[in-house]
Amino acid sequence: MMRQSPNILKQNKLKQWTRITILLLLCLVILFVPFPIPDAPPTDRHIRIEASMFQFTPSEIKINKGDHVTVDLVSTDVVHGFSLDGYNFELKADPGQTSSGSFIANRTGVFRFRCSVACGNLHPFMIGKLQIGPNLLLFRGIILGFLAIIVALLSIKTKK
Amino acid sequence: MKKELLARLIIILFISLAIAIPVIGRLKLSVNHNNVVELHARMPENGGWSLSTIEVKAGKPLKLHITSDDVMHGFSIGKSDQPALEITPGEFVDTTLIFDTPGRYTFYCDRWCGPNHWRMRGTIVVTGDNQTSQPEPQPLFLKLGIDIDSPSDAETIPSKPVSAENGAKFQHLLPEYALQRDTYNATSPAKLWMRLRKESTLANLPDSDLWDIIAWIWQQNTTNDQVINGQEIFAKNCAACHGETGEGDGVMVRGLPVWDPGNHNSGNVMHEATGEGLVRPPDFTDPIHLLGVSPALLEGKIIRGGMGTGMPYWGPIFTNQQIDSLISYLYTFAWNTRAKNSN
Repeated sequence: MMRQSPNILKQNKLKQWTRITILLLLCLVILFVPFPIPDAPPTDRHIRIEASMFQFTPSEIKINKGDHVTVDLVSTDVVHGFSLDGYNFELKADPGQTSSGSFIANRTGVFRFRCSVACGNLHPFMIGKLQIGPNLLLFRGIILGFLAIIVALLSIKTKK
Repeated sequence: MKKELLARLIIILFISLAIAIPVIGRLKLSVNHNNVVELHARMPENGGWSLSTIEVKAGKPLKLHITSDDVMHGFSIGKSDQPALEITPGEFVDTTLIFDTPGRYTFYCDRWCGPNHWRMRGTIVVTGDNQTSQPEPQPLFLKLGIDIDSPSDAETIPSKPVSAENGAKFQHLLPEYALQRDTYNATSPAKLWMRLRKESTLANLPDSDLWDIIAWIWQQNTTNDQVINGQEIFAKNCAACHGETGEGDGVMVRGLPVWDPGNHNSGNVMHEATGEGLVRPPDFTDPIHLLGVSPALLEGKIIRGGMGTGMPYWGPIFTNQQIDSLISYLYTFAWNTRAKNSN
């Protein structure tokens, strides 16, 4: 078996450390560098949400940042509520009495909305999703995943 | 000796305490139970109110301890101006009611709690010696002998939008009966139009001006406050089936068939014994429905309900003033549509 000189060992260690730093830097870049996605011009949006036991229709809504959103909450069976996480926005609708409210979507991200009035046994599961702007966290996560795969493949190669 | 006496006294004290505590506790509990009635609200599918009848003596306070077991309900007393209570699941609401006059009162849920919400009613029987309460006067539809089940579409409807302001110009031409309250109550707009059409003083007026007069007469028999009040009542109690715009497309009647007179013509057609009859309410914005009915007929339909449809009976719940307001509001659907179509 060949014996490696201490010099080569030291070099190898240095190489390893530079690799790790580059990797970490890449991770940080992927996580925090702003994507060059242009903001769509803000529009007025009128969203009609029907609440029934135990779902919202539609339950997934995508809007752009800065939109002026008006929500019409229609209940089709019992009294339901609508409360949006991350925003101070609450509605309550009786069947036959549409309740409306509006807010400006000035925070991006994915927010859950929930029924805020106890409406039966599955009430805690009555939730929906409001996505404001592109879901950057998802894209960043996917790229990070790819990076991990590449690193894994490379490490297998260098071991050989 | 003194010590022995003290020891005996202490033992007697402890034994009597051990007996007294549970006895007093039980006494207190039974006193509470006698005074407070615990009432659970549940969706009609889950059993409705836990008590269907509550008995109380006139003048005595009735303490209620109310909670909901499933969804949000309300507690209201029919024909009273007592504000409705909100019954939230998991929370108890306490209220004290005092009934002065003996009789039967209806308590009901006033929040839509499912398709059978209106069935959530119960009775409070107030007993007492002073049977001074006089029987209520008969509603007009019974006095006039109106058959509220027969078809009542308008014989004729205006061909263009009506304007009550224009109708006001011709008020000096009108015969005396046209402005009487009794005429308004007992006659449908279409019938009154046909009656006025035969008047010689109005013979030169075109049909549309005559409709303006009818709209003006209907406006004279109501006030703005009544319409606003009626709108509130409609939104809270009727809109879930009749639709917020009165078009008969409320959230509770989705998927039900549209009413067809053939459904109930039992002359020679066999019908299913049950399950039939639940149909959509008529479109109030189509004047053919509302211009064919008189206020007395509408009152009857609201009080008695039924008519082979899923319409509940509101007699024990609405006061006469509330029904009047509701009727005033209903007619605005028929008059407004024509104006809407012109835009």
